[in-house]
Amino acid sequence: MNRNFYLLFLLSALLLLSACVDMKNDLLPSASDQRSAVTVGTIGHRPEQLVADFTLPNSTGKDFTLSTHLQTGTEPADAIVLYFTMWCPICLGHSDHMFNTVMPQFQDRGDVVYILVDYVSGSTAVVRATETASGYTGSGFVTLADNDQSLLKQFEATNGTTVVIAGDGTVLLNEDYRTGENLMNILDEHLPL
Amino acid sequence: MFFPFHRLRKWQQVKATIIVATLFTPATPLLAASCCGGGSGGSLILPKMSSAMFDMSASQENYNGFWQADGTILQDPPGSDLKQLRLNVGAAYRLAPNWQTSFVLPYVWNRNQYSGYEHNSNGLGDSSFSLLYEAFDDITCVWKVRELSDLKPAIYWGATLTVPTGISPYDDVPNKLDTTGLGFYRLDGSLHVEKTIYPLTASLTLNHGIHIKRPVNRERGEHVKPYNKQLGDRTSVTTSFSYTHFMDSLDAITAGFSYNYLTEGKTVTDGTEDSASGFRKQSISTSLTWAESGNRWITRVSWNHSINREGWGENFPITDIYTLGVSYLYE
Repeated sequence: MNRNFYLLFLLSALLLLSACVDMKNDLLPSASDQRSAVTVGTIGHRPEQLVADFTLPNSTGKDFTLSTHLQTGTEPADAIVLYFTMWCPICLGHSDHMFNTVMPQFQDRGDVVYILVDYVSGSTAVVRATETASGYTGSGFVTLADNDQSLLKQFEATNGTTVVIAGDGTVLLNEDYRTGENLMNILDEHLPL
Repeated sequence: MFFPFHRLRKWQQVKATIIVATLFTPATPLLAASCCGGGSGGSLILPKMSSAMFDMSASQENYNGFWQADGTILQDPPGSDLKQLRLNVGAAYRLAPNWQTSFVLPYVWNRNQYSGYEHNSNGLGDSSFSLLYEAFDDITCVWKVRELSDLKPAIYWGATLTVPTGISPYDDVPNKLDTTGLGFYRLDGSLHVEKTIYPLTASLTLNHGIHIKRPVNRERGEHVKPYNKQLGDRTSVTTSFSYTHFMDSLDAITAGFSYNYLTEGKTVTDGTEDSASGFRKQSISTSLTWAESGNRWITRVSWNHSINREGWGENFPITDIYTLGVSYLYE
């Protein structure tokens, strides 16, 4: 009797599991490339698209405008790197890795603007305080206050999302940080020797 | 101290094993930060004299800052309130005199307010299915040590498969805070040793788990260039002590204390180690278990507390977990 109860319970639970959510992607993970095609040069957030211009305050309250740092701007850079952070341990591990490994590796390879996008603090003053508490004041990163999460939405980002934008405004990379290797590969391919 | 040795009966031994088995269910290494997934259901131990058990528990995990990679503590920003609620439903069944199987299905609610950012979500967590072998034939609890064989402990060998039934970062979800699971299969091997010499019980649980490597072709709801990912091996050690008091009504109350050490190695992505991954955590737990005289119902409350000091964890949230659970046993 107990065995029947157990099996009934187990089967009910499995039925519930199968009916509740689409778990196939985790139960049977696929290695197939299912990315849809991108039209090169259209405005968007995916690699090979052109990024729409944006302006956000940095942690000192001064406006940062992307187009200023593109090739046609007044302070042109070879690449702009965005990292979306909520200052969580994983986020700090990634930004520390960028600071300790990525930035030194490419410091003589053109001009790169490294940006931390704080989309959780909600105000420029809190962004400044959190940046300081996390030890990033004067680190070489520009910290932007995405107070209304407009940039988060523009790039369909979450914590740990890393975006690389070329000087012509083309998105080169938009993905989770993972190990930082893809970021370094993209910069290595794109930056002048 | 009065202790009713003269009233001891076989059923009391049974009761004691029931308490011990439900109280010292191997502590599931909790990785419950919703940005990290979590919500695993753990596993159950069926008492020796029982043929089946149904179990339900509810727990709430509150976050109070986190240990950074160097072991220092970073407090959450002002106004933050991070918590995860879990409802675990499970059952265990005796396959043979020394073999048992069990499963646990969790349902998870994430309630996150981080600075000015609020995110709530819910869904199934990662399920677990276990097979356990009891390396002893008779109850090993004794009232008094009269000979060497009375010192023989109860030893359980087990294997648990965690199945990624939860919502993972690789599902169609835009935000990592919405996740209720890790997205990886994990196979754990465990050894649980316990000894009761009334009214005291001590136990030791060793657990080692290997995450199975998987391909990933989607992040935050968008398909990406496929890559392979494997979380690091997970190891935990739990040691516990408890005291059981038999009441005149023949009910039994057991108070327990345990210490847990948990660590996970670094994640490997396409052959490259993620330097920001891996973690270490130490925590303590207290629990109170009440077994009614009919040996049917077991009720328990527990509190798991991360040791909130520098160096007692790395790369992991500091949390408190409150649990209320009830089990129903079949003889």
